[in-house]
Amino acid sequence: MAALPFELAPAIAALPFVSFLIALLVGAFAPRLLPKGGAIPGILATAGSLVLSVWAAVAVWNHPDGMYHDSITWVAGVGDAAFDLQFGILLDPLSTMMLVIVSLVAVLVHVFSLGYMNDEGETGLPRYYAGLGLFTASMLSFVFASNLLMAFMFFELVGLCSWLLIGFWFREPGPPSAAKKAFLVTRFGDYFFLVGVVGVFATFGTTAFVGSESFPILADQVLAGEGASVTTFLGLDPQAWFSVLGLLILGGVIGKSAQFPLHTWLPDAMEGPTPVSALIHAATMVAAGVYLVARIYGFYALLPQVMALIALVGGFTALFAATMGVVKREIKQVLAYSTISQYGYMMLGLGAGGYVAATFHLMTHAFFKALLFLGAGSVIIAMHHNENMWDMGGLKEKMPVTYYAFLSGSLALAGIVPFSGFWSKDEVLYEALVHGLESPILLAAYAMGLLAVFFTGFYTFRMVFLTFHGKPRTDTARDPHAVGWNVKVPLVVLGTLAAVAGLVNMVPVAEVTGIHLEFLHDWLDAGPEALTAHHYADLIPYASGEIGSPLLTVLLSAGVSLGLALSGAGAAWLLYDVPEPIRHTDRLGRVKTVLFNNYYQDEFQVWLANGVTLPLARVADKFDQGVIDGVVNGVSSVSLFSGGRIKRIQTGVVSNYAFLLTMGLVVLLVFIGVTGGWF
Amino acid sequence: MAYQLPGWAALAPTLTFVAAALVLFLIDSIDPDSENRALLAGTATVGSLVAAGFAAWFLIAGTGEEPFTLYADSLVVDSMSLFFAFVFASVTAMVVVASYDYMRDHSYQGEYYALVMLAATGMTLMPAANSLAVVFISLELASLPSYALVAILKKNRGSVEAGLKYFLIGALSSSILAYGISLVYGVSGTLLLPEIASAVEIEGLTGVLGIGVLMILGGFAFKTASVPFHFWAPEAYEGAPAPISAFLSSASKAAGFAVAFRVFTVAFPVEAYVATIDWVLAVQILAVVTMTLGNFAAATQDTVKRMLAYSSVGHAGYALIALASLTGTGSDQFVLGGGMAHLLVYGFMNTGAFLFVALAEYWSVGRTFEDYNGLAKQAPFACAAMTLFMFNLAGLPVGAGFMSKYFLFAGAVGAGFWWLTAVGAINSALSLYYYSRVVKAMWIEEPTQEFAIESKPVGLYAAIAAAAVVTVLLLPGFGPVWAFAQDAAAALV
Repeated sequence: MAALPFELAPAIAALPFVSFLIALLVGAFAPRLLPKGGAIPGILATAGSLVLSVWAAVAVWNHPDGMYHDSITWVAGVGDAAFDLQFGILLDPLSTMMLVIVSLVAVLVHVFSLGYMNDEGETGLPRYYAGLGLFTASMLSFVFASNLLMAFMFFELVGLCSWLLIGFWFREPGPPSAAKKAFLVTRFGDYFFLVGVVGVFATFGTTAFVGSESFPILADQVLAGEGASVTTFLGLDPQAWFSVLGLLILGGVIGKSAQFPLHTWLPDAMEGPTPVSALIHAATMVAAGVYLVARIYGFYALLPQVMALIALVGGFTALFAATMGVVKREIKQVLAYSTISQYGYMMLGLGAGGYVAATFHLMTHAFFKALLFLGAGSVIIAMHHNENMWDMGGLKEKMPVTYYAFLSGSLALAGIVPFSGFWSKDEVLYEALVHGLESPILLAAYAMGLLAVFFTGFYTFRMVFLTFHGKPRTDTARDPHAVGWNVKVPLVVLGTLAAVAGLVNMVPVAEVTGIHLEFLHDWLDAGPEALTAHHYADLIPYASGEIGSPLLTVLLSAGVSLGLALSGAGAAWLLYDVPEPIRHTDRLGRVKTVLFNNYYQDEFQVWLANGVTLPLARVADKFDQGVIDGVVNGVSSVSLFSGGRIKRIQTGVVSNYAFLLTMGLVVLLVFIGVTGGWF
Repeated sequence: MAYQLPGWAALAPTLTFVAAALVLFLIDSIDPDSENRALLAGTATVGSLVAAGFAAWFLIAGTGEEPFTLYADSLVVDSMSLFFAFVFASVTAMVVVASYDYMRDHSYQGEYYALVMLAATGMTLMPAANSLAVVFISLELASLPSYALVAILKKNRGSVEAGLKYFLIGALSSSILAYGISLVYGVSGTLLLPEIASAVEIEGLTGVLGIGVLMILGGFAFKTASVPFHFWAPEAYEGAPAPISAFLSSASKAAGFAVAFRVFTVAFPVEAYVATIDWVLAVQILAVVTMTLGNFAAATQDTVKRMLAYSSVGHAGYALIALASLTGTGSDQFVLGGGMAHLLVYGFMNTGAFLFVALAEYWSVGRTFEDYNGLAKQAPFACAAMTLFMFNLAGLPVGAGFMSKYFLFAGAVGAGFWWLTAVGAINSALSLYYYSRVVKAMWIEEPTQEFAIESKPVGLYAAIAAAAVVTVLLLPGFGPVWAFAQDAAAALV
C-alpha cells in the first residue's frame, strides 16, 4: 500500500476526464443543468488535480526513493519472445513538476474562459469545455505515463483535442483549415514516433521509463558492454541503431513542439480561441515534445549525434522563428512565433546537455507564455476581437492590470533580469556555451540562440509598445470593452509567477555569491538514481570548457545575453515607443516580404505536397491500378472461373463422387509411397 | 475433495448425453406422437448444458491434467478430450435450442432429439478414444445418427437424397478407415494408440503400415469434410435441416479433427514416422487443396447455405494446418493449440451462421443471396449477428475468429511452414469476398420482395444471440481459451 497521495494519483487525470464526461453528456441531454456551460465542473476538476499534483510532489520529495511507480498489464504477451503492454504511473520530480504546471495553467485557463467565452456569449460551450477537460486529462496522463507506448497513446489524444479546439469555430473558413493543418503536420511527425515505439519494443522488449529493465538502462548497459542483449535491425551496431530509434522518436517531438521544419502548424493554430492557445499551444501540449525528450533523457544522452542534432535544430528554430516574429501585425501571431522560438531554446538546452536548464525554461516559459496569451486574450476582448496591433495603442491607461501583467510576461520573455525568463534562458545559453567551447557544432547552435535573444527583445517590446503605448489609433482602442475579475485573476497569478518563478534556480547569483540557490537543481536531483540530473550529467557526451575562470564564464554569458536583450528592447523603444509609430519594418523591403511570408515555408510545404507527392502518388496509383489491381483482378477472375470449374466436379452423381474419392486417395497413396520409398 | 469420484465419472459428459438420449426414448415410447416440443427440446437442452457444465467443471478443476485411462486403456480422459467435449456440448445446446422453432411442424420430434443426443455421445467419445477399435466405434456412433438426421425431413426430396448420398459416401469412407485400421493392426499387433507408435521400427512392413496410416487419414478426412472426401458435404449441408447442417459442420467436423489430432500425434508421432511414412506431407497436400477448393467453390455459389457449406470445407483446410505443421519439436504445442482454439471459436461462429440460415428458412425468405436483400431493415438484430459471424469467419478482428486464426497461422509460421500460412492468408482474403456478399445483400441492397416475417422465434433468436455473444466475448476472453487449448495440446505432444 503506497502512501495516500500516490494512491490518489490516477485521480489527477481522472478528475478532468469526469468533467469532460459531464460537459459532454449533460451538455448533450440536459444543457440547462450545466452551470456556465461546463466551466464550473471543469474548474473544480482541474483545481482538484492541482491540489493532488502538489500533494504528490510533496510526497515525492519526502519519499526515500524520490519516486512512485506502479503499472498494470492490459495486454499480456503470449509465447516465448513476448512482452507485455502496460499502463502505469510514474511520479518523480520531473513528472510531478510538470503535473503541477499543467494543472495550474489549466485551472487558470478555465477561469479565464469564463470571461473570454461565457461573457462573450459564445455558443457550443459544452463542446468547448468538454474539449478542455479531455485535453487536460490526456495531457496529465501523458505526463505521468510510465512507458513510451502509453505516452504515445496520450500524445495522440492530446493532438486530437488540439484539433477539436483549434476548429472550435468550425463555421468560419479559417479554423477548420488550421485544425486540419495542425493535425496533419503533427501526425506526420507522430508517424515516425509510432515507428520508433515499435522499434523500441522490438529492440528492448520493453518501453518502460524507469526500473532496472527500462530501455534507457538497457541501452546504457549494451553500449557499456555489460551483458544486456538487445535485437538490432538493418545490420546496424547498437550505437547506430539506437540513434535511429532516437531520431524516430524525435520526429514526434519536432512535430509536437513545432520545431523546424514542422513548425508551420503552430501559427495557424492561433485560429482557435485564445485560452486554448494559452493552454495548448503555448504552455502544455507544445511542451509535450520537449518533455518527452527530458523524460527519456537517459536514452538521448547516450547518443552524441542525436544530441548534436537536437541542439542544432533548437538553436536554428530559436533564431529562425524570432526573425519572423519581428514583422507580424497581429498580436497572437507574434506570440506564436515567440513560442516556436522559445521551444527552440529548450531543445537547444537539451541537446547541449543542459537537462536542468531546459526543464527550468520549460517551467518559466509555461508561466510567462500562458500569461502573455491570456493577456493578449484580454486585449482581444477589449478590442472586440480585433487582433491587429496597428489598430491598438494607448491601452495602458485603460487596462492597467492587463498592462502590468503583460509587461511582467514580456520582460520574462525578453530575458530581462530579474524576471523568470532571464534566469532560465541564461542557463540554457550558459550550458550551450560551456559545452560548445569544446564542440564547434554546439558553438554554432549557441551562436544562433544568442543572436535570437536580440530579436526576442525587439519583437517583444515592439508588441508591448504597439499595443499599450502611444496614442489610440482606432475608435475601439479609445473606448475598449471592460474585462471582468475572471480575466484579471489569472493574469495577476501568472504575472506574479512570471516575475518570481526564476528565483528557484539563480545559477549566476549562486556562482558569484556562493550561496546555495539552485533549488530546482536539488529538486530534479531528488528522484531515483537513473532519473537524476547528476546521472544525466555523467552520461552526456560533452566536455566542459571555460573562458578564463568558471566565474568569468558565467558572468560573460549572462552579461552578453542580457546586453543583447536590452539592446533589442531598446531598439524597439526607440522605434515604437512614440505617440504615432510608423511601420519601420517596411524599410526592410524585400526582406520584410520574405519574413512576412515566413520564409515561404508554407508555400514550400504546399509545393512539396502538390509538386512532388501528388505526381508520385499519381505514378503509384497508376502502378496500383494497372499492375496490382490487374493482378488482383486476374486472380479473382481466375478464381471465379476455376470456382465454376470446381462446381462442375460436384455433379450430384454419387458414383462419380465415389470414383473421385477413391482416385484421390490412390494418387495420394502412390505419391507418399514413392517419396517414402515403400516400393 | 473429501469424496473421490469413481473413475468412470470422468466420462460424465458422454454419460450425460447417453442419459438424455435414453430419457428421450422413454418419453417417445410412452407417447410416440408427442407434440410436446418444449419437453423434448427442453430435455435435450438440459442434457447438453449439463454435459457442457461437466466438461467445463472438469477443465477448471484440472481433472484432465493427469490423463487417466479407463477400460483397459481403451479410453483416455485428459484436457484435450474435455476441451472438445465442451465444444461439442456447447454446439449441441445451441442446435437443440434452435431446433425447437425450426422443427415446429415436423413429425418425428422425439427421434430427432434422441438422434442428436446419440450423435453427440459419439462425438464426445471420439477425442477420448485411445484404441483404434474405439476410434472406429465412436466415429460410427457419431455418423449413423447423422445420416438419419440429414434425411429426417422425409417429405423433402432434397433432404432424403442428401441423406442417402451422405450415407453412401460415409459407408465407403468407413470401409477405407476399417481397412486402414486392420492394416495397422496387422503390422503392429495392437490397437492401443501408444503401443502402435513403435510399429514403424518393424522391418520390411513399412509399405503396409504406410497404406494403413493413409487410409486412416482418409477416414478422418471424410469426417472433417476434407478434399477429396468432401463430396458429401455440400449436398448434405444443403439438404439437411439447417440446425443439423450447423451441427454437422461445426461439431461433427471438430470431432473428426479431435480424433485425428490424437491418433496422429500419439499413434504415429512425427519424429518417428517422418522419414518413411511422411503423413505430414500428405496432410499438407490435403490442407492446401482443401482450403483452395473450398474457398474457390464457395465464391461461385448462388445460395447462401451452399456457400456456407463450401466455406466450411475451406475451414477444414485451415484446421488441417494444425496437423500439417507438426514437426516433432517444441513448436507442436503452439500450433496444435492454435488449431484447437480455432475449432472452438469456429464452433460458435459457424453454428451461428447456419442458424441464421435456419432463421431465414423459418421465415421462408429464400435461398439465394438476392433473396436476402434488405433483410436488415426487417430483422436488424439477427442481421447484425450474421454480419458478425461472416466477418469472424473471414477472420476480421471483430471477434475471436481473428484471434484464433491469427494464432493458428502464427503457429504455422513458427514451425517454419510460412507457405501454408501464405496459402491460408490468400484464401482468407478470397473468403472475405463471398462473406461480404451476404453482408452487402442484407444491409445495402434494396429489398426485391416483401418479407412475410410474422414472428421472431424465441429459440432461434436465443441460440443466435448466444453464439454472437460468445463469439464477441472470446475476443477479450481469448486468454483463458488459449490457456486451455495449450493444456489440451500439451496432453498430446
